[in-house]
Amino acid sequence: MQQSRLEALFSKIRQFENLPPETLEHIAKVALPRHFDAGQVIYIEGEPAESVFLLEHGWVKATRMSLDGREQAMLFLKAGEIFGDIAVFSETDYPGTVVALEDVDMWVIPASEFMKLVGNDPVLAMAIIKRLSERVLHYIGLVEDLSLRNVQARLANTLLQHAEILDGQLMIPRRLWTTFDEMAIRLGTVRDVLSRSLKILEAEGFLKVEKHKIIILDPQGLALRGNL
Amino acid sequence: MTHKLYTSPDRKIRDEILVRFASDERVADANLRVGVLNGIAHLAGMVSSVEIRILAAEFASDVPGVRGVVNRIEAPGAPCPGRTINLNLENDKENIDYE
Repeated sequence: MQQSRLEALFSKIRQFENLPPETLEHIAKVALPRHFDAGQVIYIEGEPAESVFLLEHGWVKATRMSLDGREQAMLFLKAGEIFGDIAVFSETDYPGTVVALEDVDMWVIPASEFMKLVGNDPVLAMAIIKRLSERVLHYIGLVEDLSLRNVQARLANTLLQHAEILDGQLMIPRRLWTTFDEMAIRLGTVRDVLSRSLKILEAEGFLKVEKHKIIILDPQGLALRGNL
Repeated sequence: MTHKLYTSPDRKIRDEILVRFASDERVADANLRVGVLNGIAHLAGMVSSVEIRILAAEFASDVPGVRGVVNRIEAPGAPCPGRTINLNLENDKENIDYE
């Protein structure tokens, strides 16, 4: 049962979909299922990294507090993501805080067991390296965004990255946990500035803000604004 | 998991907060989780009342070197632990998130 759930989970992860059955068997022996309700804390920044987490269902948010006390979103993670691994590999404390945005199910692997698994299994190690490399690229993009682009440009990029085609429209559906505050910390700004930026982009005809969705009317134009 | 021999200031602060928690049975029983990064203490876990939740934040705040406290401890009637929290730490002002 445990192994079949893990198999289903890994089949959703591109780099893990071809892991051999014996690797899955090893992971299944040490991984423990955990459930967190929406809003609960999974780990906090500065806490010793004692586990690695595999997200099976739901969304979580990773944040980090700046030196002046402002919460900055680092990542929004969905099912199929692994987190906590960077701190475990570097033998440091968790660099950020992770909270459940909705009810989530995950698998928890104790750090020592995780290190043994990776040390004994080159296929798993390579899959983890690929995941970490993609994470590094994400952070390079985040640094570039925060240092080179203004809020309107960051907003334009973020909207395009999360847009989906639904009912023939390009839109960003509003999830239960998406609030202006959440969007603001994702963009490294505050609610008022975000709200103003949305109004500007809407007034310029790039998008339309509705109660439960943001419809993108001019993706090319928005992409140009994103490169400002 | 073993950690590096070097003990950072944050780790020392964390240890002191845990000692402070252990010295008061109201807080000790809760086995709260503590993280410290850049002098900011982050608290999580579950207690039976808002009063104990506030007490834990005050204990953490009293430890030398703590610049601010992010209180994500769960308690009946307490705000959502996963809410967005911003502290005003400009000019090194001390700050506790009492909410």
